[in-house]
Amino acid sequence: MPDLVLLYFCEALKSHRLPHSMRMRFSPIASLIRRSFLTILSISLLSISASGEVSAEAGKKLFKANCASCHKLDKKLVGPALGDVTQRRSEEWLLKWIRNNAEFRASGDKDAIAIFEEYGGSVMQAFPALTDDDIKSILAYTIEGDKKAAPAPAADAVAAPAEGGDTSSPWLVYLLGGFLLINLYLLLRVRNTLKQLNGEDPTNLVEDLGVFSRILVANKRFMTFLTVVLALGFLYALYSFLMGVAVEQNYQPAQPIAFSHKIHAGENGVDCNYCHSSARHSKHSGIPSANVCMNCHMYIDGSEIVDAAGNAKYGGERSPEIAKIYAAIGWDPEARTYIEGYEQKPIQWIRIHNLPDLAYFNHAQHVSAGQIECQTCHGPVQEMEEVYQFSELTMGWCINCHRETEIKGDNGYYAGSIDGSASISDRLVERFHDEKITAANIGGLECGKCHY
Amino acid sequence: MASNKVYWKSFDQLANTEVSQRLAENEFAQDIPADVFLADERSMEAQTSRRDFLKFLGFSTAAATLAACEQPIIESVPYVVKPDSLTPGVPSFYATAYTDGQDYASVLVKTREGRPIKIEPGDAGRFNRGTNARAQASVLSLYDSARLRGPVLNGKESDWSTVEASLKKAADAALAQGTQFVLLTSSVFSPALQSAIERLRQAYANFQHVELDAVSQSNNLDVWESLIGVRALPYVDLTAANLVVSFGSDFLGGGMAQQLSSDYATRRKPGSGMLRHVELESNLSLTGSNADKRVKIKPSEVSGALSYLVNELGGSASKVALRDDLTKALKSLAGELKASNGKAVVLVGGDDANQAKLSAALNALVGAFGTTLRTDKPVYIRRGNDARVANLIGDLKAKRVGALLVAGTNPVYFRPDFAEAIKSATFSWALTDRMDETAQLCKAAAPEPHYLEAWGDFRPVAGEYTVAQPTIKNLFNSKSLLEVLGSLSGDSRSAKDQVAASAASMGLNWNQTLHDGGAAVASGSVAGASAGAAASLASSAKVAKPSQGMELAFYENAVGAGYQANNPWLHELPDPVTRLTWDNYLTMAASDALALGFENETNSDGSLDGSYATVKVGKRVLENVPVFIQPGQAAGTVGLAYGYGRTAAGKVADAMGVNAYALGVTTGSASVEISKAEDMHEFATVQLGNTMMGRRIVNEVSLADFIADPSGSSWNEKPTFHTIDGMMTSDEANLWADHDHETMHMWNMSIDLNSCTGCGACVVACHIENNVPVVGKQEIRNLRDMHWLRIDRYYSSDMSKERAEDENIGGIEMYAKMEEPSESPSVVFQPVMCQHCNHAPCETVCPVGATVHSREGLNHMAYNRCIGTRYCANNCPYKVRRFNWFNYMANEQFADVNPAQDDYGRMVLNPDVTVRSRGVMEKCTMCIQRVQYAKLEAKKVGQPVADGAFTTACAEACDSGAITFGDVNNTKSAVRAAKADARAYHLLEEVGTQPSVFYMTKVRNA
Repeated sequence: MPDLVLLYFCEALKSHRLPHSMRMRFSPIASLIRRSFLTILSISLLSISASGEVSAEAGKKLFKANCASCHKLDKKLVGPALGDVTQRRSEEWLLKWIRNNAEFRASGDKDAIAIFEEYGGSVMQAFPALTDDDIKSILAYTIEGDKKAAPAPAADAVAAPAEGGDTSSPWLVYLLGGFLLINLYLLLRVRNTLKQLNGEDPTNLVEDLGVFSRILVANKRFMTFLTVVLALGFLYALYSFLMGVAVEQNYQPAQPIAFSHKIHAGENGVDCNYCHSSARHSKHSGIPSANVCMNCHMYIDGSEIVDAAGNAKYGGERSPEIAKIYAAIGWDPEARTYIEGYEQKPIQWIRIHNLPDLAYFNHAQHVSAGQIECQTCHGPVQEMEEVYQFSELTMGWCINCHRETEIKGDNGYYAGSIDGSASISDRLVERFHDEKITAANIGGLECGKCHY
Repeated sequence: MASNKVYWKSFDQLANTEVSQRLAENEFAQDIPADVFLADERSMEAQTSRRDFLKFLGFSTAAATLAACEQPIIESVPYVVKPDSLTPGVPSFYATAYTDGQDYASVLVKTREGRPIKIEPGDAGRFNRGTNARAQASVLSLYDSARLRGPVLNGKESDWSTVEASLKKAADAALAQGTQFVLLTSSVFSPALQSAIERLRQAYANFQHVELDAVSQSNNLDVWESLIGVRALPYVDLTAANLVVSFGSDFLGGGMAQQLSSDYATRRKPGSGMLRHVELESNLSLTGSNADKRVKIKPSEVSGALSYLVNELGGSASKVALRDDLTKALKSLAGELKASNGKAVVLVGGDDANQAKLSAALNALVGAFGTTLRTDKPVYIRRGNDARVANLIGDLKAKRVGALLVAGTNPVYFRPDFAEAIKSATFSWALTDRMDETAQLCKAAAPEPHYLEAWGDFRPVAGEYTVAQPTIKNLFNSKSLLEVLGSLSGDSRSAKDQVAASAASMGLNWNQTLHDGGAAVASGSVAGASAGAAASLASSAKVAKPSQGMELAFYENAVGAGYQANNPWLHELPDPVTRLTWDNYLTMAASDALALGFENETNSDGSLDGSYATVKVGKRVLENVPVFIQPGQAAGTVGLAYGYGRTAAGKVADAMGVNAYALGVTTGSASVEISKAEDMHEFATVQLGNTMMGRRIVNEVSLADFIADPSGSSWNEKPTFHTIDGMMTSDEANLWADHDHETMHMWNMSIDLNSCTGCGACVVACHIENNVPVVGKQEIRNLRDMHWLRIDRYYSSDMSKERAEDENIGGIEMYAKMEEPSESPSVVFQPVMCQHCNHAPCETVCPVGATVHSREGLNHMAYNRCIGTRYCANNCPYKVRRFNWFNYMANEQFADVNPAQDDYGRMVLNPDVTVRSRGVMEKCTMCIQRVQYAKLEAKKVGQPVADGAFTTACAEACDSGAITFGDVNNTKSAVRAAKADARAYHLLEEVGTQPSVFYMTKVRNA
């Protein structure tokens, strides 16, 4: 009997554990595969380009490095689409044009001047460093285009056993609990065996519990104790509930555009202040206006995004999410111009962090003066696909931080002296001696500093 | 010797009625209206029992709590393309010029996220740089929802091309038929507009331009035009004066008020050579209240008095007999004028041609020309011509006007004859901000942009050119006069291009001029008037015989001429002298009121009522004018303010007060018949609201005593107390532990009672900056005004303890006499806001710690902690705390007056300051939002906060620089220097509250 229980318990444990461990293990393996694939790819590319021969592979690399910001193979960007350029122009013409188009135009080539004027006189830079082979490689790539990458080998679902390591504490507790239960069961069995030996009737668990509870109910002290415990528990629950009213921690609304901070701030390392530029100057961190998005998304429309396996994420098409920016601001991605007289449609984001009007919060105070990382309050935004409210944003949370955070005493506001007498920093040191000088020490807990 | 004048606030206090005693004891004149609903039988006998009520209460509380768990979804919508110059949350400032048809000022406009929210004074050194109450309040007129939204033709909504075509057609028809095409405006001193008008004149041979000033200066202008050669008034330079004599000119409230208030304050710094101010007037005006010597004079005596002075100073004018006491006063005044050595100026109010001639002559004889009266620097802001207006009315009636374009003025309201005349115009077209009295009678009306939406330029004074720029896109479908005139004369340039061309023609760099708001330019060929010619005018002046009958002198209060009559802030601002709000009324001397049977009575709830009068000037009659008994009013005279009694201005202004213009007087005063009418009028006064009786509230000293004892020991003693350790000041006999005020900043405010003229610009500025609710007439009548900053006005009486001792008068009789009105009380003004006590009585009594002290010397008020016990207000010795009895921003009762209840009006709210709700106490925060902002700006650039880097809204608005704000821990700050001055004292120092606000003793040059 006990063996059966143990077996069942192990089964249960396994069935719980399996999906979890699979989840745990899957992604490192996938990323390992992806990484090694990319390494092999890049090594092979490097070896090709180093060889100095003409090859589409080397051309692709050169194209991405030198040309891609203005040209695409299949559509116009700043300059013309280059997919079939070798059919339109002779190789000799192209060599001259690419090496130094300004010189080429100056030489009076009619085609060169015509193409320059067609594209509104935007000057293409000269590439004196490219060898003829390099340019020929690029041209080879324009002919061949992007070959669809081979599908990555499917990750083996039945993966090798886990490499220990990740023994999380809840499981330990469950295990111990399980052993205790087994012990309890064994003890009951032992007692019943002893009873049977004494000639008494064996009792089962339910009968035992019934007797035990009758004894407890009859015990006034216990009942008083129980009442007090229950009352305290209820009050605590009520208090927790009420304190949680209007606390929207983990609030994660769906946004009109599936914008990923993980891609922007995390993978691409875009500085928070690039988009939320007013955080340094203003009380508002500011949601970037669509024209800030366009600084990059004029060139990146999502068609070039590939997943780990090298598959184009949107099948080589424009991302529907980025298209929403174009729809808001009135950008014509085909003509690559802003549409004249377009009725712009502001993007209606859902605000995540909502302080009540009675509390005054200023981003600049914390970002510029206090030099606090955005993540201190907003959490690991660079890892969030969809942003959620990381902190409680309660007054207690503010106050705790004000109590603990030291001021930046070297700021000229504190350290400078306007009248030749002691600076605020000096006066603070005199007053607080060796103590940490926190925001609270300079009045950061006073009501009127945030409520006015 | 310290002055021992006893000040009293009203006749009621003077008479020491039961009501005023009660008010002195209680903070709130009215009890909570609990007894009203308890006495309501219906509610007492209702089926709902108390238990049911509690059940409902419990249920609704629980429901509300649960409902609150669900947060609303809040959208956050960024710009699609953010303008480069704008950062959300950071204010931008634009230099521009303010005009509302009456006033002109050089100002700076604060905008947030593209919305103008505050008007600040313009660059130092610019003419009329500053903001009076109207300039401050003008930002709300932008968001007035009563503004006209789009063009109207024959009572139907139309569009611009149609209405402009209709005007063009009418103008062309008039040209063809030989009738006139008339443009009627207020004074035009915009070079761009003047050249647009000139182009129109070229295009239409029948074109006429008529200028109309609501409060006329036409006769004055005629006289000065004959002397200077251009239609302008001379520039008054008070900085060069030692003596200013004013005949009811109210120069601290008139067209040059900002300039003159500032110069006046500069020259009124105590010490030898302090400017002396003598006022001769019938109404007790704001200016007269500030005078060192005030003589009561009837309007009909002014020309006689002027001719007396002319003759005394060696000129020749016809003489008339005057009262003996007046002659005596004039004789000593003539002596002062002679002794002034040219450093004096005589200013005359009203618009009487003979008085204008006599005053010009008198100034010439005094030697003011070229020194205090700069005829070579004419002021162009008044150009109206009543003779031409009269001609226009005649032409209209005779149907000689084919097309009338009225722009930016309201002749039907300002001139009673116009209503009939305008109906006779073949075609009339109004460019107006609202469907006002004139626009309603016109065939077409089209919206004019507010000055904050429009391009413009001005030449207010010779040698200065200013540019007005839009700070917001037109809220409504409006077009400026520049554009309308342009399209009429076939000039297709935008208003901006016209202004830019005008600036270019003066050789100015456009961007620099626009950024600075203006520039100095060549003053043109104005030679200045000859003093000899001016002096000879006196002999041609007709000198009136003093009248024995009743006379009426008109005046302007904060509402001014009435252009901004629909602005609730201007009505909520109490009149500085009468302390009444939301009204105009006949001010009358107590002796006349007694003789004619007029009464003012205070009800048991502290509200004031006054009898109605019927006022008759010639054949014109004004019915139901309330009478207010005004100390200091000359016997035999009454006063009445312009700007009220609108019928088509909007929900705030309509049917409030009476229209003084309807009496048809343009010269400023007239003989009048007054008779008593039935019923009593309900006034809304703040004067009984908070009394501080019998103590040294305003400290005052004469100039001679001030100079004799610079240490102030005889006139600015600190009160001391007997203690076991001997006499101690309240600071020394201190019960409380001191706050740490040395480590960080210590914000202090100095209020110079010598500089404060009582104008009230600070009060309006405070309202705007701090989202102070407008509560309306009834609530003020209930003594529940919400002003964070008030300006107390005290009258004096001459009884003193010394005099009682000398004359052997007993204590009871002495106190009774102290409360007796003197014939002509001297007046002091005292701005009072939260004193930010360092030992604050309010803080100790708050049961929830909602009002606490900061280490920067400020008393904080956390609204969301406040549970509304009002203990703090009760315990405040200064009575500066205000309780929100209602949810003013949402309660329907206040929908007509509170701008926060209007979708447009709400845009004026300061986004950095909470809008308080019902049931909480509020008070002056010393503009903590500005303090915090300035500290943050300093941290951003890594510099200490510089003295003068920022200031409070009240201090910024003050033209006369009476308020100084700063950090006393900065040893080089202006406020620290002020605190060390011998004149500095704390209000009610004896209570030991150690306020952060202190006052500077008033010095009277008597």
